[in-house]
Amino acid sequence: MGGRRALWIAGIIGVAALLPVFVHSDYVLTLLDLAGIYAIAVMGLGILLGFTGQMSLAQAAFLGIGAYTSAWFTTHLGWPVWPAMAAAIVMSALVGLAVGYPCLRLSGHYLALATIGFGIIAQLVLINWKAVTNGSDGITGIPPPQIGPWVLDTYGKYYYLVLAAVLLCAYIAWRIKTTRVGRALHAIRENEIAARATGIDATRYKIIAFVLAGAYAGLAGSLLAHDIKFISPDSYSFDQSVVFLVMLILGGSSSISGAIIGALLLTMLPEVLRPLKSSYIMVYGAAVIAMIVFMPQGLVGLFSALRTRFEPRTPPRASAPAGLSNTPSAAGAPGAEPA
Amino acid sequence: MHVDPVANMQLLVSGLAIGSIYALVALGFVLIYNAVGVVNFAQGEFVMFPSYIAVTFLLPATAVFGTIVHWQLPVLIVYALVLVLMVGFGLLFNRIAYHPLRDRGWLPVVISTIGVSIFLRNAAQITWGSQPIVMPSLFTVDTIAAGPLHIRPQDLLIIGVTALLIAFQYFLFERTTLGKQMRATAQDRTTARLIGIRVGRIVSITFVYSALLGTISGLLVAPLFTVTKEMGGLIALKAFAASIVGGFGSIPGAIVGGLAIGVIETFGGFYVSSSYVDAIAFIILIGVLLFKPSGLFGERVTEKA
Amino acid sequence: MSEPVVPDSNIGRDAAAISAPPDAIAAAESGLLEVRGLIKRFGGVVAVNALDMTVRAGDVHALIGPNGSGKTTTLNVISGLYRADGGSIRFDGVEIAGRAAHAIASGGIARTFQNIRLFGELSVLDNVMIGRHVRTRVSFVSALFPGGATAREERETRERALDLLRFVGLESAAGAAARSLPYGDQRRVEIARALASEPRLLLLDEPAAGMNPAETDTLVALLRGIRERGATLLLIEHDMNLVMSVSDTITVLNFGQHIAEGPPSAIARNPDVITAYLGGTLDAA
Repeated sequence: MGGRRALWIAGIIGVAALLPVFVHSDYVLTLLDLAGIYAIAVMGLGILLGFTGQMSLAQAAFLGIGAYTSAWFTTHLGWPVWPAMAAAIVMSALVGLAVGYPCLRLSGHYLALATIGFGIIAQLVLINWKAVTNGSDGITGIPPPQIGPWVLDTYGKYYYLVLAAVLLCAYIAWRIKTTRVGRALHAIRENEIAARATGIDATRYKIIAFVLAGAYAGLAGSLLAHDIKFISPDSYSFDQSVVFLVMLILGGSSSISGAIIGALLLTMLPEVLRPLKSSYIMVYGAAVIAMIVFMPQGLVGLFSALRTRFEPRTPPRASAPAGLSNTPSAAGAPGAEPA
Repeated sequence: MHVDPVANMQLLVSGLAIGSIYALVALGFVLIYNAVGVVNFAQGEFVMFPSYIAVTFLLPATAVFGTIVHWQLPVLIVYALVLVLMVGFGLLFNRIAYHPLRDRGWLPVVISTIGVSIFLRNAAQITWGSQPIVMPSLFTVDTIAAGPLHIRPQDLLIIGVTALLIAFQYFLFERTTLGKQMRATAQDRTTARLIGIRVGRIVSITFVYSALLGTISGLLVAPLFTVTKEMGGLIALKAFAASIVGGFGSIPGAIVGGLAIGVIETFGGFYVSSSYVDAIAFIILIGVLLFKPSGLFGERVTEKA
Repeated sequence: MSEPVVPDSNIGRDAAAISAPPDAIAAAESGLLEVRGLIKRFGGVVAVNALDMTVRAGDVHALIGPNGSGKTTTLNVISGLYRADGGSIRFDGVEIAGRAAHAIASGGIARTFQNIRLFGELSVLDNVMIGRHVRTRVSFVSALFPGGATAREERETRERALDLLRFVGLESAAGAAARSLPYGDQRRVEIARALASEPRLLLLDEPAAGMNPAETDTLVALLRGIRERGATLLLIEHDMNLVMSVSDTITVLNFGQHIAEGPPSAIARNPDVITAYLGGTLDAA
């Protein structure tokens, strides 16, 4: 990674850290908190779909499992928030394992449908398992987290918790992406048979991806529960899973910054489009189609395409030099040895 | 548990009726999948949208964009009108959501069809509001008595029309040139193109046919429930599940899978749990995926190394 | 070229009862890879029928035969992508039949594919770095702590991958997406990826397919270079000039069965082999 890129990232983090100093509107801060929480869930989906190529339309259900676990441990058992948050991560990761394992044999459409089915079942459980979930009424009175004497009870304070979580999750995703494990995940996405023949235990790595996606969603769900302090089943529907998918694709599915940008934009967009009132979601649907038709690599792909276009000095690592190397060079191949 | 044969017969009839709906929608999935290798996640909107158009012209008064209109027309004219409109809809859908992405693999198409689904649901809400609308039934009575049984005539109509459509489809595929071209395209597009079949045209026709199957299911099922923007979503997901249970890509599989899920779900909702009735289809699905991924009629397909 | 009809399974079972050719047994002691009585069926079709084959360490061994004779299937079974229905495959004395593909790969058998299977969207360098998967250790947890052993291993992986790209003559294409390369170059990327795992046995499925004569010459030089590095090669190839010039031993398959094995000079004169190729001369195949 170049120093210029590191500088950019540091700059963006700096601006993000200073935002609450200038922005005092609770409304804007709520949205930023929400966008950050969604960004975590979307990054988790990015590890599963973007890196590994395994479709999931149940990310919102995993978010729900995290939210309810955290809410139940704090309101029913009186646990402090931090261990409840850890429990939420572990619970969602375990469910990720339980869902991922039977889904290993599936891919593509089959996997999409199996995960939709899981999401619908999960939501029905949230609605009907009243002893734990309190049914459609949801759980209220979820406590805010606390660091020593400092209670994160305002949206401005909570913002820093979300920001730290987003940065940590982005760091983990980035380390995975750029090292051996990430290359193995990408190999499975690109060609599972070749990956296996190259020595990659595809089963194991796919499960890792499911578990990581679950853990990310679990953290996001817990953060959401302690942020808005009230949860109910309708926040974790199939439609919300679709929104996460669209955020990911809009950003650029295997890009970490893309996942964050996608989450941020699509959380803010409804507010910007408020003048459109009820037709907002319709426009959103049309935008999804337009995006996928005209912007195959997402926003991040669009940016880099624009950059290469306006910076002609960028070395064009396309097929041209490769084509030239077509001539017999065979370095390292010494003289003929008769058979 | 007390087992009442009359109740069971009645459950069987309603199960077969709802199962017929799943079967028709599942057929729509399978035909498109066979032709172009992708799943259309807007299939449910092929059911919902025509139902809204139909009620607009069937009721003495409907609210369109908040304005009350009185466009009531005779039933048969309405049905014909809806079918014609949906032909155009199928063509447009192919043009917008599938055609531009046809060389880009399955995921972009899945996402664009999800986009269409979001668009249509909310277009429907804007146009017709969020209140459920009741579609008038063709029948003047709710149930008819056959001995001790009380059966909804609408159920019988659904089962009858589905049987006719399946017979028609059999005729189409086995006896007509168009049907044979559709089958050839489904089997191998490259070869189909080589022997002179206009594959693009066959694909368009498939989308239209699939839209019409959805339309007919919508017109049949709407009088049993109500017309809402959500009406197609769950039907389509269960139909998709049915097509996998039956063996994805298999036409008899889609029919049998649809009927089986309809019947099991109806009995399960009555005897086991009405709260989890919508989970039943997916529990069956996950069981099938785990233990017999090829489904009831499917051939086991493994990727060639 | 038409696909020959595979014989029906009964004929296959009779033939399976016939004992292994004596020359195969004689060669058994020195074999790096010893295939004995290997059977692979698809439904009722016997694709590989009681195949015996011994690949000696250090050899370039060619597996030839008409289309549909079971060559690729044999490779797929050896590399663990298909499960054998019978018989034994011993690699360096260890039974590997029935093991998972990734386990066989980490045991030292790498391969390329007839219909090239690269990680198309990834860079050429990444493709080769992925090839080092079985020789590297960085795990999900250790990846989170940069520096130290993690950084060292990642750097080494990159350097060795670049070395291999130099070896196959593709260092200038390291940053390009694998799918953007011309066909012949893609084949060489696949070979580099396979070599990255430092295999003792390299399986090549029609490496020269679709190559022009200049590319094929490069390939021949490359194959000799690989052998110099100490790897044993088992290759399927239709280009008989290539086979005759690089191979130490040739096994000929027909209808999933071994019909001849020996050095190129003997194979070229073998009447069974000539019949198997439908009366054609070998270099016309």
